[in-house]
Amino acid sequence: MVDWQGIERSAEFRELVRRRRRFVVPATIFFLAYYMGFILLAGYAPDFMGESVYEGLTVGYCLALTQFVMVFVLGIWYLRKADREFDPLADAAVEAAADSDEKARFTRSTPREEEVTR
Amino acid sequence: MTLFAEVNVEALVMATIILAITLGITYWASKRATSAVGFYAAGRQITGRQNGLAISGDYLSAASFLGIAGLIFLYGFDGFLYSIGFLVAFLTVMFLLAERMRNAGKYTIADVLSFRLNETPARAAAALGTFAVVTFYLIAQMVGAGVLIEKLVGINFTFAVILTGVFMLCYVIFGGMVATTWVQIVKAVLLMAGIFTMSVFVLAKVGFNPIELFNRAEANTTAESTFSLAPGTYLPEPLDTVSLGLALVLGTAGLPHILMRFFTVPSAKAARSSVVWAMFIIGFFYLLTTFIGFGARAFLGQGGVEAAGTGGNLAAPNLAAFLGGGEGTFGGDLFLAAIAGVAFATILAVVAGLVLSASAAFSHDIWSSIVRKHRDSEHEEVLVARIAAFAIGFIAITIAVIGGSGLNVSFMVGLAFAVAASANFPALLLALTWRRFNTAGAITGVLFGVVSSIFLVIVSPKVWPGADSVTGSPIGWDLSNPGIVSIPLGFLGCWLGTMLSREQPAERTFDELFVRSETGLGAERALEKVS
Repeated sequence: MVDWQGIERSAEFRELVRRRRRFVVPATIFFLAYYMGFILLAGYAPDFMGESVYEGLTVGYCLALTQFVMVFVLGIWYLRKADREFDPLADAAVEAAADSDEKARFTRSTPREEEVTR
Repeated sequence: MTLFAEVNVEALVMATIILAITLGITYWASKRATSAVGFYAAGRQITGRQNGLAISGDYLSAASFLGIAGLIFLYGFDGFLYSIGFLVAFLTVMFLLAERMRNAGKYTIADVLSFRLNETPARAAAALGTFAVVTFYLIAQMVGAGVLIEKLVGINFTFAVILTGVFMLCYVIFGGMVATTWVQIVKAVLLMAGIFTMSVFVLAKVGFNPIELFNRAEANTTAESTFSLAPGTYLPEPLDTVSLGLALVLGTAGLPHILMRFFTVPSAKAARSSVVWAMFIIGFFYLLTTFIGFGARAFLGQGGVEAAGTGGNLAAPNLAAFLGGGEGTFGGDLFLAAIAGVAFATILAVVAGLVLSASAAFSHDIWSSIVRKHRDSEHEEVLVARIAAFAIGFIAITIAVIGGSGLNVSFMVGLAFAVAASANFPALLLALTWRRFNTAGAITGVLFGVVSSIFLVIVSPKVWPGADSVTGSPIGWDLSNPGIVSIPLGFLGCWLGTMLSREQPAERTFDELFVRSETGLGAERALEKVS
C-alpha cells in the first residue's frame, strides 16, 4: 500500500503543488480575462473593433491576432516550465515517498525477525 | 429518388481514394485493437506529436472548416470569433485537465469523476454528460455530412448519411481507438494541406498582401449584404456573444471525445506536449480559415451568396472551384474535388471519435461497472463496446435520415458545447481539485448543467417558433446561447449538492487522487511496443 496521505503532506509534494499553482493560477486568470475582455469588446464595442488600423485591417482583427500569440506563448512557456521545473519536482516527491516507504518496511520487519530468531 | 443526382466524378474518385486509405488503416489496426487498452486507448502508444495531430483531426469538424469559412464569407468578423474561442479553449484543457486526466484516468472521463466518489452514481452522471454531448454533436455532424456530400459529390442525402455512418462504424467496431486515431491523423494532414494550398492561391491573387484581401472583401459589400469587418452582424446581441464565448472557452474541456485522447499517450508529459502540438496546428488552421472566408467574399462577392447555401457552407468549395480556374474547367473541378474529399475525410474522423467515446461510456461505465460490477471479462467488455458502437451509430443514422436535410442542426453544436461546459467541465474540475466535493455534488452538478442547457436552448428564439415569430421564446428568453446562465448553474449544482449532503468517506481518498493526478504515481502504463 502506498501511503498517499504521507506523500500529500510531504515537503516535496507541497513544493510541487505550490510551484505549479504559482504558475497555473495566474496564467489561467490572465488568459480568461484577456479572452473575455476581447469578447466583451466584440459584443459591446463593435464600432471600436471595426475601426481601421491600416486600410482594411481593423482593430478587431489585430486584437484577434494577439489572442493567437497569447495561446502560443503560454503553451510553449508552460511546456518548458513543466519539463524543467514541475516534472523533476514530481519525481522527487515520488522518490522521497519510496525512500520513506522502504524505511518503514525495514522498521516493521525488525520485530518479526526477532520473533523468528527466538 | 435517384441515387446519383449529378455526380461529380472527380469528387467521387477523391472520396473513394480516401475511403480506401482509411479501410487499409482499419485492417491494419484491427489486430491491435482486441484488448480493452488497445480498443479504448490504442495501447497508450500514441506519441505526443501524433496525438496533437489526432486531437486536431478529432476537433476540427466540417463546422470548423466549411462552417467558419462560410460564416466569415457571409458575416465577416463574427465568424472569426468562433475560431478564437475554439483555440483559446485549449489553454483551459492544458492548464486544468490534460495531464490530470492522463494520470488519474483509464479509458473514460467517468474513471476520473468516480475515482474517489461512490462509483455507481458518479459513473452514471459522467455517462449522462457524455451521452448528452455526443448525441447533439453526432446528429449535427451526420446531417451536415449528408447535406455536404449530397452537394459536393452529387449522391443523394439518405445514401450519403448511410455511407458516412457505415464507414464510421467500420473504423470504430473493427479498429477501435487505433483506427480512429490514424484516420484522424490522416484527416488532419489532408485538411492542413488543403487549406494551406487554398490560402496560397488566395493570397497569390492579392500579391501576398492580406490587407489587400480585407480591402477587396470590404469593397464587395453591398446594401443587402450582412458582411462586415466589424463585429455584430451574426451575433447582434452583445450578451449572446459573451455567453457563446464562455461556452466555447470552457466547453472543449468537457468534450468526452477530446478528453479521451489523453488516455492514448504513454505519459502526462506526452499529454502536455500533444496539447501544444494541437494548439499550433489548430491555431494555424484558424488563421488560414480567415483567408478562405475573406477570400470568398473578395472573389465570389455578394453574387456568390446564393450558391454558398445555408450558413455559407459551400463558400469554401465554390472558392476552390474559382481558384482552380472556374467551375467546369479541369483545374476548377479538380480543386473542388480535392476540397470535397478533404471535407469528407474531416467528417469521418470527427464522427468516429464521437461514436468511440460514447461506446466506451456505455461498455466501460454502464455495462462493466454498473451492470456487471466488474465481474465481466475484458473480452466481454470490448464486445459490448462494439455492439454499443453499432447501436449508437444506427440510432444516429436513423435520426439523421428521418430528420432529413431540412433538420435544423445549427443550434446542436452550440448545445453540445454548452452541455460540455456546464455539466462535464465543472464536475471534472471540482472532482480533481476540491477536497470536499462528493457524489451528491457530482450528480446535482451534472443534472443542473444538462437540464439547464437543454431547457434554455429549447426555449431560445432559434428553436421555439413563437406565435408572433418576432419574440419567439415562451418565457421571454432571448439568448440563443445558454452558457452564461447554465455554466454558473452547473458549478452551483456541484456546490449545493456537496454542501447539502453527508457522505461516508470512500475507499480511495482525495489524497490518493490528488497525489496521483499531480505526480503520475500509479498511472496506467503503456503497452510494450510490438512492431
